[in-house]
Amino acid sequence: MLFEQVSVGDEIPAYTKVVKREDVKAYADASGDQNPLHQDDSFARSVGFPGIIAHGMFTMAHLTSALTRWLGDPAALKSIGVQFRAVVFMDETIEAGGRITEIDPNTKRAKLDVWVRVDRAGVSEYPIKNSRAEVELA
Amino acid sequence: MPLNQSLKGKEYGEIAFTVDRDRVVQFADAIGDDNPIYRDAAAAKEAGFSEQVAPPTFLTVMQIMTSGQVVLDPELGLDYSRVVHGEQEFELRRPVVVGDVLTATPRIADIYAKKSNEFLVTEAEIKDASGEVVVVMRSTIISRGTGGSGGS
Repeated sequence: MLFEQVSVGDEIPAYTKVVKREDVKAYADASGDQNPLHQDDSFARSVGFPGIIAHGMFTMAHLTSALTRWLGDPAALKSIGVQFRAVVFMDETIEAGGRITEIDPNTKRAKLDVWVRVDRAGVSEYPIKNSRAEVELA
Repeated sequence: MPLNQSLKGKEYGEIAFTVDRDRVVQFADAIGDDNPIYRDAAAAKEAGFSEQVAPPTFLTVMQIMTSGQVVLDPELGLDYSRVVHGEQEFELRRPVVVGDVLTATPRIADIYAKKSNEFLVTEAEIKDASGEVVVVMRSTIISRGTGGSGGS
């Protein structure tokens, strides 16, 4: 993403995906996080959820992909810090987004507010919110 | 039972990890990111990288490897069944590429209570073979209901 192309207040394109059980299993194997909360429905029910939930890091990875797709260059993402504020269930659609809050013309770096939203019975819930990223523009 | 505050600053054993080509592809597949530089060294080189690139959150793999030492530390007094992942931060100093030989030394950066919950912040600098810091990871886990002022 070019410095000349962005302004404070711009939003990155919303990026969605449907969270599938097999993706969460694949993430458990790829990351090494084999917590049964993400694989075993009866375990998840025993701790108060209706079924398994996605890893927070799975949702954060989707947000990171939204940013790097927008940037065009994964190396342009300099930092990302998120708060996990709601869980994500299987077959839900997660939508990653972000808005530029600050641009430094000297360093060509921009700061963004970033989030991941799900629609739950007509109400927006935010598995990730109050979160920030810093990127370097070309 | 509250966490042991005196462990603030405690360092744990160093973990070593070599970034493996197949593991990077497996991770890129799992997160569903189809960028060719995560899958193909030639595509990465064409884009100006020295080797096939790992996605920005790939070093979660090292965090999982290192976290066991901390969360299972008997001196800490953490009940893992009460834990949720509260916050996560990556400072990405340079892209991680296949063949990187990395080390991490996790430490407890902070322990604090807010209402009835306690927060455990662990931090690890990931260094390459030359000693350069490539990524800094910070993770906050929440121990639900173990804080002092919470009551039941």
